[in-house]
Amino acid sequence: MPGMPGAMPPNALGQGMPSTPTMPYSPHAEAQVSTPSKIDPNQIPRPITETSVVIFETRQAGQAAVPPAASSEFIVKDTGNCSPRLMRCTMNQIPCTGDLLTTSGMPLAIMVQPFALPHPSEEAIQLVDFGEMGPIRCSRCKAYINPFMRFVDQGKIFICNLCGFSNDTPREYLCNLGPDGRRRDADDRPELCRGTVEFIATKEFLVREPMPAVYFFLVDVSMNAIQTGATAAACSAISQSLSDLPEGPRTMVGIATFDSTIHFYSLKRAQQQPLMLIVPDIQDVYTPLQMDLILPVSECRDSLEQLLESIPSMFENNRVADSAFGAAMKAGFLAMKPTGGKLLVFQSVLPSVGTGSLSARETEGRSNISSGDKEAHKLLQPVDKTLKTMALEFAEYQVCVDVFLTTQSYTDVASISVVPSTTGGRVYYYFPFSALSDPAKLFNDLRWNITRPQGLEAVMRVRCSQGLQVQDYSGNFCKRVPTDIDLPAIDSDKTIMVSFKHDDKFQENSECGFQCALLYTTVYGQRRIRVINISLPCTSMLSNLFRCADLEAQFTYVVKQAANGIPSSSLSQVRDQVTSTCINILQSYRQYCASVSSSGQLILPEALKLLPLYTLALTKSIGLRNDGRLDDRSYWVSIVSSVSVSLAVPLVFPRMIALHDLTSRDDEDPLIPNPLTLNSENIQDNGIYLLENGEDGFIHVRNAVNPATLEQIFGFSSLAGAPNLLVLEQFDNVLSRKVNEVVNEIRRQRCSYLRLRLCQKGDPSGDFFRSLLVEDKAPGGLSYVEFLVHVHRQIQSKMT
Amino acid sequence: PAPRQPVSRTTTRRHRTGHAGRPRTSRPIRPRLRRAHPSPSSPNIGPTRPQSGATSPLSSCRLSAESPPESGSHRALHRAASIASSSDAGAAGRHQEATCPPVSRCAAVFASDPPVGYHFTCGGRLTLLAHKTAVYKMSEFLELEALDGIRMPWNVIPGTREDAVSCVVPVSAIYTPLKSIPDMPVVPYAPLRCRMCRSILNPFSRVDYNAKIWLCTFCFQRNQFPQHYSSISENNLPPELFPQYTTIEYISTAETGPVMPPVFIFVVDTCIIEEEIGYLKSALAQATELLPDNSLIGFITFGTYVQVHELGFGLLPKSYVFKGTKEVSKEQILEQMCFFAGKQKPTTGVIAGTRDGLSSESISRFLVPASECEFVLNSVIEELQKDPWHIPADQRASRCTGAALSVAASLLGVCVPGSGARIMAFVGGPSTEGPGSIVSKSLTEPIRSHKDLDKDSAPLFDKAVKFYDQIAKQLVHQGHVLDLFACAVDQVGVAEMKVAIEKTGGIVVLAESFGHSVFKDSLLRIFQSADNGLGLSFNGILEINCSKDVKIQGIIGPCSSLEKKSPLSADTVIGQGNTSAWKMCGLDKKTSLCFVYDISRKVGPDTVAQQTGEQLYLQFVTYYQHHEGQMRLRTTTISRQWASGAATVQELIDGFDQEAAAAVVARLVSFKMETEADFDPIRWLDRALIRLCTKFGDYQKETPSSFSLSPRLSIFPQFMFNLRRSQFVQVFNNSPDETAYFRMMLERENVGNAVAMIQPSLISYSFQSGPMPVLLDATAIAPDKILLLDSYFSVVIFHGITIAQWRKAGYQDQEGHEAFAQLLKAPHDESDAIIKERFPVPRLVVCDQYGSQARFLLAKLNPSVTYNSDNPAPGGDVIFTDDVSFEVFMDHLQRLAVQ
Repeated sequence: MPGMPGAMPPNALGQGMPSTPTMPYSPHAEAQVSTPSKIDPNQIPRPITETSVVIFETRQAGQAAVPPAASSEFIVKDTGNCSPRLMRCTMNQIPCTGDLLTTSGMPLAIMVQPFALPHPSEEAIQLVDFGEMGPIRCSRCKAYINPFMRFVDQGKIFICNLCGFSNDTPREYLCNLGPDGRRRDADDRPELCRGTVEFIATKEFLVREPMPAVYFFLVDVSMNAIQTGATAAACSAISQSLSDLPEGPRTMVGIATFDSTIHFYSLKRAQQQPLMLIVPDIQDVYTPLQMDLILPVSECRDSLEQLLESIPSMFENNRVADSAFGAAMKAGFLAMKPTGGKLLVFQSVLPSVGTGSLSARETEGRSNISSGDKEAHKLLQPVDKTLKTMALEFAEYQVCVDVFLTTQSYTDVASISVVPSTTGGRVYYYFPFSALSDPAKLFNDLRWNITRPQGLEAVMRVRCSQGLQVQDYSGNFCKRVPTDIDLPAIDSDKTIMVSFKHDDKFQENSECGFQCALLYTTVYGQRRIRVINISLPCTSMLSNLFRCADLEAQFTYVVKQAANGIPSSSLSQVRDQVTSTCINILQSYRQYCASVSSSGQLILPEALKLLPLYTLALTKSIGLRNDGRLDDRSYWVSIVSSVSVSLAVPLVFPRMIALHDLTSRDDEDPLIPNPLTLNSENIQDNGIYLLENGEDGFIHVRNAVNPATLEQIFGFSSLAGAPNLLVLEQFDNVLSRKVNEVVNEIRRQRCSYLRLRLCQKGDPSGDFFRSLLVEDKAPGGLSYVEFLVHVHRQIQSKMT
Repeated sequence: PAPRQPVSRTTTRRHRTGHAGRPRTSRPIRPRLRRAHPSPSSPNIGPTRPQSGATSPLSSCRLSAESPPESGSHRALHRAASIASSSDAGAAGRHQEATCPPVSRCAAVFASDPPVGYHFTCGGRLTLLAHKTAVYKMSEFLELEALDGIRMPWNVIPGTREDAVSCVVPVSAIYTPLKSIPDMPVVPYAPLRCRMCRSILNPFSRVDYNAKIWLCTFCFQRNQFPQHYSSISENNLPPELFPQYTTIEYISTAETGPVMPPVFIFVVDTCIIEEEIGYLKSALAQATELLPDNSLIGFITFGTYVQVHELGFGLLPKSYVFKGTKEVSKEQILEQMCFFAGKQKPTTGVIAGTRDGLSSESISRFLVPASECEFVLNSVIEELQKDPWHIPADQRASRCTGAALSVAASLLGVCVPGSGARIMAFVGGPSTEGPGSIVSKSLTEPIRSHKDLDKDSAPLFDKAVKFYDQIAKQLVHQGHVLDLFACAVDQVGVAEMKVAIEKTGGIVVLAESFGHSVFKDSLLRIFQSADNGLGLSFNGILEINCSKDVKIQGIIGPCSSLEKKSPLSADTVIGQGNTSAWKMCGLDKKTSLCFVYDISRKVGPDTVAQQTGEQLYLQFVTYYQHHEGQMRLRTTTISRQWASGAATVQELIDGFDQEAAAAVVARLVSFKMETEADFDPIRWLDRALIRLCTKFGDYQKETPSSFSLSPRLSIFPQFMFNLRRSQFVQVFNNSPDETAYFRMMLERENVGNAVAMIQPSLISYSFQSGPMPVLLDATAIAPDKILLLDSYFSVVIFHGITIAQWRKAGYQDQEGHEAFAQLLKAPHDESDAIIKERFPVPRLVVCDQYGSQARFLLAKLNPSVTYNSDNPAPGGDVIFTDDVSFEVFMDHLQRLAVQ
């Protein structure tokens, strides 16, 4: 498919080299790179931004369609397979045998993001109520009814697409078959024609009444938190977010503050001040009251707002420097134990006392690293099992913990992140916390945390057709039995990766089905089962695998695998691992699909042609670079564990755009200008650039920038004395408006309120910015061209 | 002049009155004062109250001629006469009228104040005899008590160890250290102490005015008077040498430092029903109004958890919540309640109080002056509510009394160690949670009874006692008091807590409900102004000095041994012993201790030299925090005679105070019942009485009918008879909590009140005569009489059936029946007066003959008429009991005594 975007005419690559003709048997284009010295940096593969919106039908002509790239904008029409946003496989054809998969070097996994935000123009997921009967399921494997179950014998029997078992159709569900062998009512029933449906859960899915939506806030009020303004920021964020809580009588809130003791507040005192109850025993915590600590928000809203307003002043003179984070979480958990719910912790310092207290391992770590200790990565593992044990208990009682770290020092994210990652939450990291710029992000993060689509007390299981079996789940959850994962909470940002392995062969031309069933409770207290189905063709042709490979999904897999490896092996090992995964895949392609071409050429499969670039970016990412802070790396690891496909790539391969010339763009142009190549050649001396990875936005201001432009965007004309952490205000000029529009659009895309940082040349922040330009040669890594050469050499040496 | 010869006390006094300027008006003899105490209008303190900073002991000496106002009410007389036969009512009447003449203390000049008692005639019939004695008589004991707060069973001390042992009742003294003595001097300087034995200069010390030397009463050490005593002469004496000031108080601000405010921590149970919470709230609210402004207040509530309220936090109600299942140590309090916030925690040593580096701000979070926390305290009390934790229907509330007290004790230990503080615990049920719990939560398990304790089937009892013993040790170490207000229908664990209350000198009040007047009025009494109130004092240390050959075995009473072993401590130990110094964390005007002495004098060559009239001396030195805050030292020095070698029996009898003896025996038997396994109190009492009667009775051997007792001893058997039947010995009629309560009261009360507990008084009201003391006997009941029984813990007004019928018919409201109304009212007036004076406030029972409540009276009466008596008295009542009557008891006693 030479016309495919990004495809490059092979002869355009190796300039001056005898060009190798495209292999006649190859049905698709390859990117070919010739010998290193002759590589034209302008011709090597780079992502191309797709500007038009594609309408994607998931199945066309009875066949699974190859989905568009996750990063592109598309509208899904569910015609049997689920939206690729909800579930995306690393390869859109399934190898018939395990051997074939091994040969390809590619991973087989699906990325499940059950609550992924739909495109506004997409049809909503339909809700099906089977009444008391409950959803139709295969009586052997318990798979839910889906479009790929085959009805035979006049519809009296249906055959499970996953286990092959023939089930009797319940009498109530009988329907005649049409001439095409489909049920006549198939198009009227969403469960028979849509890849994704939701069922109302019946009693058998309930072990108790669906839980209410409980939000318990825990705020650090220790000396540092007060003095840095973190407490005030947290209180204000909570207070502003109260109106965003789900409406209705089933929404409950509670609050506690903590330093070296834990302070609960009983708000059930109409017209009166709340009662403050302090739990001083932080080795063996408990809740001071059985009830009244968590109340329906409607009953206590006013007093809670008042309390939040007075907390910062109440602790104004607090001289307690210690923070009992673990104990406070435990205490908060105990208060929520009867219901479960979301525990939102605002922590500002290293937890120093009580259950689960931590020590400043960083200093110890620094000396280890400088002395070349091979065990340095141990500092990226949790210090002990205390918090893990605690987290498992939280998960058992459906308590999800989100931790907001508003800190200015080392807080041992490696240990702390265990709790959110086990309970389906996440870590939010504000380092170094600035009382000036971070409150806005804190508020937005909290608000999004509360308002985004989400489910509570969830259990998820992925089933697949016979021939494959689930190998592993990875993400933020708690796993107690091998087949299911427990998610005290699951939201639209969380992705779970499920990897598979073969336990049998598939027939050529058969289809392999995957079904993800998520049983959850809505924030309004309805128990539902979201069933997400995809059915992919099986193939025994390696070239088909490469042709239908999903680059972003595969790369996400690589990123997640790398993140998994960071705490347990040295960074260089992880980087080698990542690079060799890339090389293996390319070598397999080179060996089996493009073996005829000259060994002097690097031939990349079209679908995976960006794999080397992304791999290079990964080795230079925060998580894998040598010079990062421990906490930054741990934080990176923690977000990667649940990151979605669409955000995994930008996280390591950021997007850079120029801000200074936004005014030259037309209003018809897409809001966000085309990203620039990530190398320093693109940086002009009079420019202002924004580089964003979905988490942070780095604004690089060059020296020769026009002060007027600076004034327009930031409101100051000189960089001298400008704060590193920026608050982007909107001023009354076109440029400022456009900049704000762009930033807001990015925020919307990434579902994240970018933390804006100013990076100046001649400053560490400027150096940091440069290090994010992944195509450049850096002290710790190769340039893009060099890397391609390296990959090529490795492939060559392997093949001989 | 040459050093004074040792002279007897009486002669010294006479001598002194001649010289000491204005003669002191002799104290009128008050007949058998039992309840009568100096009336509220008595002068504030002694005549030498520090004025205008005068510190010289001599210049400040101004003697007052004021005598204490006459306060012998007729009630006091009833008590006296209650042991008189009803036919001798005239005798009692005489007491009432007696305006007692001034009487000197000379032994020979005793006025005729006839003690009364049963005398046993040959026929075994009871006859009342008026008896005159040549040595001591009852009134004399009372007078001595009024002067020094001491009563002793033996006022002539058996001369040898063997003698003392054969006297059955030990040589002992019941001493009320802070007894309110109206004209006791309070001098503004420090006492002079013997440089050898540290005893204090007293009126019995011989003084050489020329050489300015005094001779120690106890060790005969010669001590030089210091410079500021240089003007001392026979005509210019410091108060402590005035013969009548055998009890004197010293205040020396230089030594004692600033006035310490009293500290009160309220520890309040919330596991009680709403109704009770309501009662408790209003009682607490009333009490807090009476708190002294300067006192520091802390507030703790408990249920499933312990809540320490931070009264010093103004913004919103704030409390620290501790788990009920664990004790809390001082270290934990320091750590967990942020006493080191913003500071480096010292690495070693136990830190406590401002002296050891705690900031006063950190302390004032929890202990706030009453004047400052009024609003917060009131709102905390106002918002008290039932413990919110759910209780299953088949379970008791989860109540962590032990943990709460542990928290309170540790908090005080951290904040105000060594300064007077009281933990006032208000408990409404049994502890079921954590340390010190007395019963499991399951309602199927009943709270332990005496039977369970006897059979060792109260698994939690020993553990709980051990826990409270630890608490007691901690509190004693810190100098703090535990008071208990136990108000519940069932038991709450007083028996377990007893050790902590008693060792710290705490107050205990037992009632059925927080709404009951026994609780409400008692609580108010505690905080009433000092003159009427209890005069709660803190942090006492009591030391004794004794003459040679007298050693101390120990104290039975609310105090704790400081384990300061000295030559004065005897080898055998009774109660709090092994020491010559005791801690009394809490003490008040009424706290009375029973000192049990050991006579170590041996028969030997010395004995020959012993003469009648040789004196021995006992000194009691109490250093304490007065209820007004300053530290004071009170010293009481008394003198008694040794019995001479020969003819001691009569001498001993002449010095025998049978009431004091009864009180001592009651304390002893209670103590032994609690501490000795398999102790048989009845047998022990009977044997003691028989031995006593054998030794001191007048009889021909083997002839029971010849038996008679001296009037000095004649009432003693009746005391023993009633003691055998009392709640102290017959414990099975009561719960362990009640027994513990009765015993604690017995062990802190003076002789008079102890006797009332043993043998209640009974007054009869009728148209025929005025109020009249009658025998505590079933025959006292008559249809047309009203009886008033005062058994200390309860006051019973009992209407004869005819009176009751009249009353129900409403005659008292009709014209022409004013006399009847008057008759009905009289016992109520009397009981009101009793209740007003007594602490804890007794329970008032008003009942009618044949009514169910009548059992309160019947149980106390001598069962002379039972259901199997031949000829019940007409109109009287029969008592359904198989107990022997006093008459039968006496028959047996006589028979056995003469064997």
